[in-house]
Amino acid sequence: MDYKNDERYWNINLLNKWFAISSILFLVSIMWMFYHDNDDEFKTYQKDYRKLEAQIAQTKLLEELDKVSSERDIYEESYNEAKLLFDSNYDILDSLNETLVKAKGVFYKSNMDYLFFKAESDQKKYLYETEIVESHHDDHSSKDYHKPKDYKYKDEYELSLIKLNNLKLIKENDEKNVLDIESKIKILRSDLKIEEDKLNKYLKQVTLLETKVQKLDRSKMTITNQIGDIVRDLPILDFLDPYYKVNQIVANDVKYDVNFASVPTVDRCTSCHLGIDNPDFKDAPQPFTAHPRLDLYVSSSSQHSMDQFGCTSCHAGRARGTTFVSSSHTPGSAEQEEEWKEKYDWEKIHHWLQPMLPTKYTQASCFNCHQSQPIVDGGDKLAMGLGLITASGCNNCHHIETYQKEHNAGPPLTHLDQKLDKEWVSKWIKNPQSFRHNTWMPHFFEQENNSSPEMIRRNNSEIYAMTEYFYPNGNHTMNNSSEFIGDYESGEKLFNAVGCMGCHQVKNEKEDLIFDDLPYELYMSKFGYESEEMTRYELLKNQGPNLIGVGSKSDAEWIYNWIKNPSDYYPGTRMPDFRLTHQESADITAYLLTLKNEEFNKLPPSYYDQEEMQNIAQGWLVKAFPEEEAIDKLKSMSEDEVMHYVGTKSINYYGCYTCHAIDGFEDAKPIGAELTYEGSKPLNTLDFGHIHFIGHNNYSWFEQKLANPRIFDRDKIVAPEDKSRMPNFYFKPEEIEAITTAILGFNNLKYSPNMIIENLVDDKNVFKGYSLIQQYNCQGCHIIENFGGQIADIIGKPEYSPPNLNTQGVKTKPDWLFSFFKNPSIIRPNLQVRMPSFTMFNDDDWNSVIRAFQHLENHTLSFETIHKIDKNTIEFKAADKLHEFGACNNCHFYGEVKPTQGPETWAPNLALTKERLRHDWVIEWLRNPQEIMPGTKMPAPYLPTSDLLSADGAVEIWGKYLVELNGDNDLMLKGLTDYIYTIPGKIDISDYVREYFRVNGYDFDSDDEEDEDDWDDDW
Amino acid sequence: MIEQLKSFIDYLSTPTISFTILTISFPFLFPPTDWFDKINRKFGLWRVWTNSGGVLLFFLTTAFFYLGFNDENFSIILNKPDNFPIIMMIYTMFFYTWYGMKKSYINDRRISKGKKPNEYHDPDDKVLVWPDLVYIEFIALLLFTVFLIVWSILVAAPLEEPANPSVTPNPSKAPWYFLGLQEMLVYYDPWLAGVLFPTLIILGMCAIPYIDINKKGDGYYSFKERRVGYFIFMYGWLVLWVYLIIIGTFFRGPNWNFYGPFEWWDPHKLEVLNNINLSEYFWVIMLNQPLPTNIFLRESIGFIITGLYLFVLPVVLAQTYLKNMLKEYGPVRYVFLMILGLSMLSLPIKMYLRWFFNLKYIIGIPEYFFNI
Repeated sequence: MDYKNDERYWNINLLNKWFAISSILFLVSIMWMFYHDNDDEFKTYQKDYRKLEAQIAQTKLLEELDKVSSERDIYEESYNEAKLLFDSNYDILDSLNETLVKAKGVFYKSNMDYLFFKAESDQKKYLYETEIVESHHDDHSSKDYHKPKDYKYKDEYELSLIKLNNLKLIKENDEKNVLDIESKIKILRSDLKIEEDKLNKYLKQVTLLETKVQKLDRSKMTITNQIGDIVRDLPILDFLDPYYKVNQIVANDVKYDVNFASVPTVDRCTSCHLGIDNPDFKDAPQPFTAHPRLDLYVSSSSQHSMDQFGCTSCHAGRARGTTFVSSSHTPGSAEQEEEWKEKYDWEKIHHWLQPMLPTKYTQASCFNCHQSQPIVDGGDKLAMGLGLITASGCNNCHHIETYQKEHNAGPPLTHLDQKLDKEWVSKWIKNPQSFRHNTWMPHFFEQENNSSPEMIRRNNSEIYAMTEYFYPNGNHTMNNSSEFIGDYESGEKLFNAVGCMGCHQVKNEKEDLIFDDLPYELYMSKFGYESEEMTRYELLKNQGPNLIGVGSKSDAEWIYNWIKNPSDYYPGTRMPDFRLTHQESADITAYLLTLKNEEFNKLPPSYYDQEEMQNIAQGWLVKAFPEEEAIDKLKSMSEDEVMHYVGTKSINYYGCYTCHAIDGFEDAKPIGAELTYEGSKPLNTLDFGHIHFIGHNNYSWFEQKLANPRIFDRDKIVAPEDKSRMPNFYFKPEEIEAITTAILGFNNLKYSPNMIIENLVDDKNVFKGYSLIQQYNCQGCHIIENFGGQIADIIGKPEYSPPNLNTQGVKTKPDWLFSFFKNPSIIRPNLQVRMPSFTMFNDDDWNSVIRAFQHLENHTLSFETIHKIDKNTIEFKAADKLHEFGACNNCHFYGEVKPTQGPETWAPNLALTKERLRHDWVIEWLRNPQEIMPGTKMPAPYLPTSDLLSADGAVEIWGKYLVELNGDNDLMLKGLTDYIYTIPGKIDISDYVREYFRVNGYDFDSDDEEDEDDWDDDW
Repeated sequence: MIEQLKSFIDYLSTPTISFTILTISFPFLFPPTDWFDKINRKFGLWRVWTNSGGVLLFFLTTAFFYLGFNDENFSIILNKPDNFPIIMMIYTMFFYTWYGMKKSYINDRRISKGKKPNEYHDPDDKVLVWPDLVYIEFIALLLFTVFLIVWSILVAAPLEEPANPSVTPNPSKAPWYFLGLQEMLVYYDPWLAGVLFPTLIILGMCAIPYIDINKKGDGYYSFKERRVGYFIFMYGWLVLWVYLIIIGTFFRGPNWNFYGPFEWWDPHKLEVLNNINLSEYFWVIMLNQPLPTNIFLRESIGFIITGLYLFVLPVVLAQTYLKNMLKEYGPVRYVFLMILGLSMLSLPIKMYLRWFFNLKYIIGIPEYFFNI
């Protein structure tokens, strides 16, 4: 190439082309950028939502139009008539309007003159005042102070005032002219206006909806509005007032922790979930569907309003995300995951530490604020999970700071020689489900990682050694002496009637589980599963063990003593005292002894294997000491010592002592990992081992761990002493889901104190009360908070079942309730089921329970003014008659005065009322018994209406006092209540009732044949 | 077949093998002496720097990545937004190396025929700022902006979770341009790999114009006229820097273990890393006695070796092999060249010592944070 200095180095035409191309590319890329920036996913949803909203509004409009169609014509006609009349006066109106315009012109001028001159006059006032002030300036103290002076502006000002006044008069006159004309016009219009208002009022809803439709539906807008509607959402211009925009809730009480600071969460979920608080969208498709529980959540009137709680406080997820993927939705199942991948290109956001909870686990979040009172409406699954954790004793091995162990999950093993024999114990340890398919005792052996022949041999010796350890004083000797065995038939009846079934069942039915679509692998029990689906309600029946096979377990002496007084054998037991007599106890024992498990009896017990025992001992010793020293130690041990050593080590290893009291392990620490923050544990600290077929997230791990606790040992080479040893509880999928929910609730998310339930209740004893109600299974027999009372299913009739405790907190007097708890007496004479004595409760416990009942009713008082009865009031006197009509004595006792009807309808002693019930409550109870206790046999008392009372001869029928009350329900009920409070008689009629049934039996109940037994108890 | 190829590539990628192959083949590709040049000619390696060689290079690289993107394991690594620049870097690095070498070889041929180099005809280093320079700069600016915009639209920024001191990612990787440095940390104490070496690299690059007294190749591409300098620089740049970045990006997985490109990043993978200090070799293994308590006695052998390497070796070289060089360069330049050169050389030496002898430190005084 020949270079010439005066020429350009590059070919300028070529550069121009390059420039053109790159400029065009640049423009295209900028446009692409704009498009990309404005093509937000949420806008698509908002557009769809707008259409849907318009549709709904349109439908509503049509409905509304339909509703008004009948009378609309009438309104319109009268409006048109008025309009016609109005139009006929058109000429007058026209001339009036003309005059009005002129008069307004005149007024405008005169008003202006007045205002302008007022300014001048004000200025003169100022000048005059200044003159006065200046003339006094030097002689404050002189006597001349009040002496008149000559002022230059004085006259001028005074003259101006006169002129101003004239102008004002003119102005006012002109104004009056205007008003006159206006009122004339108004009068002319008034008829029309009235009709117009009527029509508008009638069509108010229609007009509102029409406006709404016009705002939503572009095709129904005017052209200018249509253009405006488009322009407001154009790029750049959309900063002003766009229709489509990100919606967000700043929840100040919910903090998002970024490790070095915590900031309020900003929930943008409502950018797409637009109908979340709108009940009209209940059945709309996602993402527009309304929240299913608007009474509890989201709506501003609910306890968890969207403005305070946002969305992610419960659901978690990436609050600021405005797309389906970036908000970190989590699929609940593999199918859903596939569907989402297909539909939304869903992928897991690995870097978001709190992915959204799958819908099935949302209840985990309830625990964050409700940990002091975890059993709440809407939190059923969480409550069931927590119930299962208590029953299975998860928190015995695993410390959970926020949900601590209250009781040992299993009975004490400190004096087993009184209860069981060694053979039974060793078979039971080896496989508890072989004795009782649905026992809470989990299965440690014959699991995935210890089913090899070597492990079976090892486990046999461990079981043998442990069993020996439990019997330092030799084996149990069976005592089936006849003194403990009564009548089998009456025992069965008693068992079913007295209240055992509140916590226990005797249920042989079981079934095999068959699943093919579980996301995890279940290590199944060979002995079948409980056939009922596990629910919170079902859990109530499993408070105590299912008593099948109990006759193959222990002997008459132990069973007799146990049911007679459970605390004797086990002072910490939750089994209450039913105050059974000798005969009753013996009868029930006779019945229980018939429940046998023959197959279990045939199973072989574990045997002594000296070589293996030595091996195990050596294995443990080598772990603690250098090998040679360990072997020396082993050699120096006697056979018994070796066995004792292996027993100790095995108990330690399997953690038996966490659920059972065992001598020598009083201070041992729980063996499981702490679960207090398990739900927040970083994923990399959960050992997935070589298991890759489950989802890589925490809940999948929890599910798998619960379904097969040993699975993460699979394909690993682990020494016997280091194998994972969490036992198998043979949970069913619904149980796994519930427990996983609870575990996810054990997390370290922080909420502001004013969201935590504990801070919202002054008396913290309330929570202890709720907890006691849970622990002692009160809801097994009673309905509390609309839940429970499962024993009624067995008794069959609600009226013969333990009472519904609805309104209990305002029903009884706290001091009476306390004394009743301490010493239960008969309230409902015809009930066979009895309130047991919870002798393990101390005063503090009972106070807490009473507090909890009061808290449920928002009632806090322990001491109240004693209600004084004034017998001279009209209502009291009238009540005599009412009482007569009510025939209360048909069913109710009056002290020891028996009701007139038979025992099948017997009801509480009215003489007791003044001691027991709160006056306010009795009035409400009399007003509507069904509302307080649905299904009660108590009828509302008959109250005459004012019509009846004003009829002829009313005084003869109703008495003068009732007539005087003239049908005032409140006064009549008060009078009746007062009357009941004065009923005399014996307060505690337990002895009388007991005696009656001793003599007559319970033959009134067709389900229950007459019982010959002596009912000499105090129930 | 493909699987065998993949496992063969995995095998070749092991640092010991790939580094050795690179180091051995390097002088044949960039021959610093006549002997290497002869071999290079004999096997036609110079053809790499022709058009067809360039196409082949491009094809091989692309084939590798094609294989990679279709592999379930490697595609996970390649598809990370963080690694996109590295893939671009590999292409640009190959291209510019190839382009420069191609021009050099053309010029070398011209010079050997007595002609002037191609660039001789360029306008005496002068073009007009406007329009010649500004115009093309502006066009380049536009095109690059277009590229950045398109990139930012198509690939979202690789943001991660808020930093949490108690939960660190595994592997924790430096930004891509520092991965070479991070790789050095495997072989050297942080004080050396993180502080001293980077400083020496920067100072050394600043010092090149003052050390290099070869006036040839000024203003035009040429390999032959400055082949030793070219060789040393390219070895430092391509092998000791770029190659280490590639290793750090693609081949270092969980626990900083090495993984072949097509290998699954198994977090359970366990490698034996029984690293041992020279003092332990000497006292414990050779002499079968405990380590002396006196630190200086303990590390004496390391001090002696380091002293020999740093202070005796240059003197010996100056007397023998590099006698002419000392004469030409003068003592000051020679000393600086030795400091820089020996430090650079110490990296591959240490890498081999680690790989073959598990040598941790030549001098290891953790008591005073002094480890070499």
